[in-house]
Amino acid sequence: MSDETPKPYQPKIDRRTALIWVGVVGAATAVGAGVVVYGHKTGGKAEAQGYGTDPKLVEPEKAPWPRIMSEAQLQTAAILADFILPASGTAPAASALGIPDFVDEWVSAPYPDQLKDRPVILEGLDRLTPSIQPPEGRQAALEALAKSDDEKTRAFFKRFRALTIGAYYTTEAGFKDIGYIGNVARTSDPGPSAAVKAALEVQLVKLGL
Amino acid sequence: MAEPYDVIVVGSGAGGGMSAYHLTRSGLKVLMLEAGRDYDPTTETPMFNIPAQAPLRGTSTPDKPFGFYDATVDGGWEVPNEPYTVAEGSEPFIWWRPRMLGGRTNHWGRISLRFGPLDFKPRSRDGLGYDWPITYDDLAPWYDRTEKLVGVTGASPPMGLTNTPDSPPGCLLEAPPPRAFELFYARAFKAMDIPVIPMHGAVVTQAMKDRNTCVFATACGRGCALGANFQSTTVLIPPAKATGNLTIQANALVYQVDLDKAGKAKGVTYVDRVTGEHHSVTAKAVVLAAGSGETARILLNSKSSAFPDGLCNTHGMVGRYLMDSVGLNVTGQFPALEGLPPTNDDGMSVEHTYVPWWGYDRHKELGFPRGYHIEIGGGRQMPSVGMARLLDEDDLSVGDDLRANLRNRFGSVISFNGRGEMIPNDDCYCELDPKVKDKWGIPALRFHWKWGESETRQAAHMTQTFLEVIDRLGGKALGQVETDGRKAISKGGEMIHEVGTARMGASENDSVVNQYGQSWAVPNLFITDGAVLVSSPDKNPTLSILALAWRSADHLAQLAKTGGLA
Repeated sequence: MSDETPKPYQPKIDRRTALIWVGVVGAATAVGAGVVVYGHKTGGKAEAQGYGTDPKLVEPEKAPWPRIMSEAQLQTAAILADFILPASGTAPAASALGIPDFVDEWVSAPYPDQLKDRPVILEGLDRLTPSIQPPEGRQAALEALAKSDDEKTRAFFKRFRALTIGAYYTTEAGFKDIGYIGNVARTSDPGPSAAVKAALEVQLVKLGL
Repeated sequence: MAEPYDVIVVGSGAGGGMSAYHLTRSGLKVLMLEAGRDYDPTTETPMFNIPAQAPLRGTSTPDKPFGFYDATVDGGWEVPNEPYTVAEGSEPFIWWRPRMLGGRTNHWGRISLRFGPLDFKPRSRDGLGYDWPITYDDLAPWYDRTEKLVGVTGASPPMGLTNTPDSPPGCLLEAPPPRAFELFYARAFKAMDIPVIPMHGAVVTQAMKDRNTCVFATACGRGCALGANFQSTTVLIPPAKATGNLTIQANALVYQVDLDKAGKAKGVTYVDRVTGEHHSVTAKAVVLAAGSGETARILLNSKSSAFPDGLCNTHGMVGRYLMDSVGLNVTGQFPALEGLPPTNDDGMSVEHTYVPWWGYDRHKELGFPRGYHIEIGGGRQMPSVGMARLLDEDDLSVGDDLRANLRNRFGSVISFNGRGEMIPNDDCYCELDPKVKDKWGIPALRFHWKWGESETRQAAHMTQTFLEVIDRLGGKALGQVETDGRKAISKGGEMIHEVGTARMGASENDSVVNQYGQSWAVPNLFITDGAVLVSSPDKNPTLSILALAWRSADHLAQLAKTGGLA
């Protein structure tokens, strides 16, 4: 990591989407019926609509539910995501790929798996926020997460890290970093190269196969 | 719908699509009723999309249980407004339904294995289960022409394996070469004297008339905009439409077969899922191919004074002998596959090789009567949001260490999936729920399920086999491995191979239809989906449903030509 003071995280969502979310929130507040609850509600039953059973697949629309992470949570998520996957060589940092927005989309989603993650992630971010405010103590505070005596903190780190990895490596930049070279149309499948077969054979011999 | 129809086909998947294909091409006017919406894979398939473009990186949710990009529309384990129940005291049963033209053929696994000679005569072989009224030889010519139409891989010189038929020359296309992980696991099976052979997958891998060839990228489960794999919506329905003889009514949820005074089928009644309006349509014959569960439900809901317990159910056979496949998975991670040079493992999406059942002559010593085949996934697949599972539980690395660990592990995981035969039993059936109804007031299905010992012992053997293979390959199993077959076995219905419920037979006392899918009770009522299956061999059922539907539709077309429906 560089020693420069990091710039605040700029959400990667487009302005139009942000306005739609604001609109959704505004309408729900105006109605006051509690259909959509925006803010720090954690856990509990689903309070927003999912994308439904027949979403557009070829050009998917942005997930329709309102985002619930606060600005402070988003900033902490950016710092933690970049601790997990900072820029390296040509590979971008997690925040440059919008991973904090993904975490926001994930913990805001109205589905059971994501509702389960919501309190783990949000409470974890809230606990972490004060300790990473002073820049000089930041690195130590981040490194302490994995070794924490507090089981909740360890669970938070593990889950946040898994989400960061999942979100990072499902992008084009992630494909490049991990060496996924598929998803291209081909006229035939030639099978593995001679180099791959040779490397495999070495391993098979070692296994006595 | 003013046009007089010769035949109403209920359903548009493997059974319904094939029935309509053959009937329209035989000159008959067909009305196809599909419960779901119209669907066009050429414009609706997310070819080449990556997870980053999808909500939640494409992860599975209750709205899209097999992931965002799975082809299934308006369906899954639950369909809104269309409940089903599981009886108290039953083992779990789950029911996968789509609501779209082409049904489950849009997303299916495309594994296309012929049933073998023993599969048609299980009772004669060992006294268990029931014999079919036909032999392998009766169906073989229909398998031949189905494979030639569908486009199925697996071409090889004759292998002569027990109960694993070789297709005649010219029926099959070549499977692509095995990938690194497939070459790798094959060596362990070889050491165990277990064959590994080319997969029979419904993918066009070589030049084929009127078809596009696979581009060896993007998952078949999304469907294929090129029509390079088999979907009813790309292979069967377009040519049926081209005859000018096919009319398709979408959103038509059929719930009743209507009879005339003479006791023959005069048509069906459906509710429009969008408008809620009820409509009755008429034709000279009716073909039910709504899927084994829905077909049974239509029959059971078609009550009349002649059939107070449901149509064709005088002998209590409708809904009985419900079967699925035994399913079980063990996944392993293999240091020997770590750090192999990057290679494109996308392949034809379906596995390139598989392991057919190898123990036909060893069942006595094995302690269970029927076998299973193994479907094995792996390689450097497009990363998913679950990528962190590649790492060891205690790996908490970050930064360049994390990047290196992931790069190293990518492509080093292999998933072993057993698919086994289930013997029909008296505890597995469906009936109408006495209370629960769907949104339109039509009684829902209630399922009863219990795996037999034949299945749970087989499941335990799957685990043992997979653990031995993983061990021989120097790997370790991921997660907790359950060795108790009764705990490790899949849920009823989970393999989405539910068949039976209106089986064919030699007599009306113990079956619902004859060998041509023609119902004993109503001669102009046919069933051409998985409901007619008498046994549920380890081989995935779709290819057999297609071949049987073609044979039945041909019989129906002959009857129509010779005045047999009048």
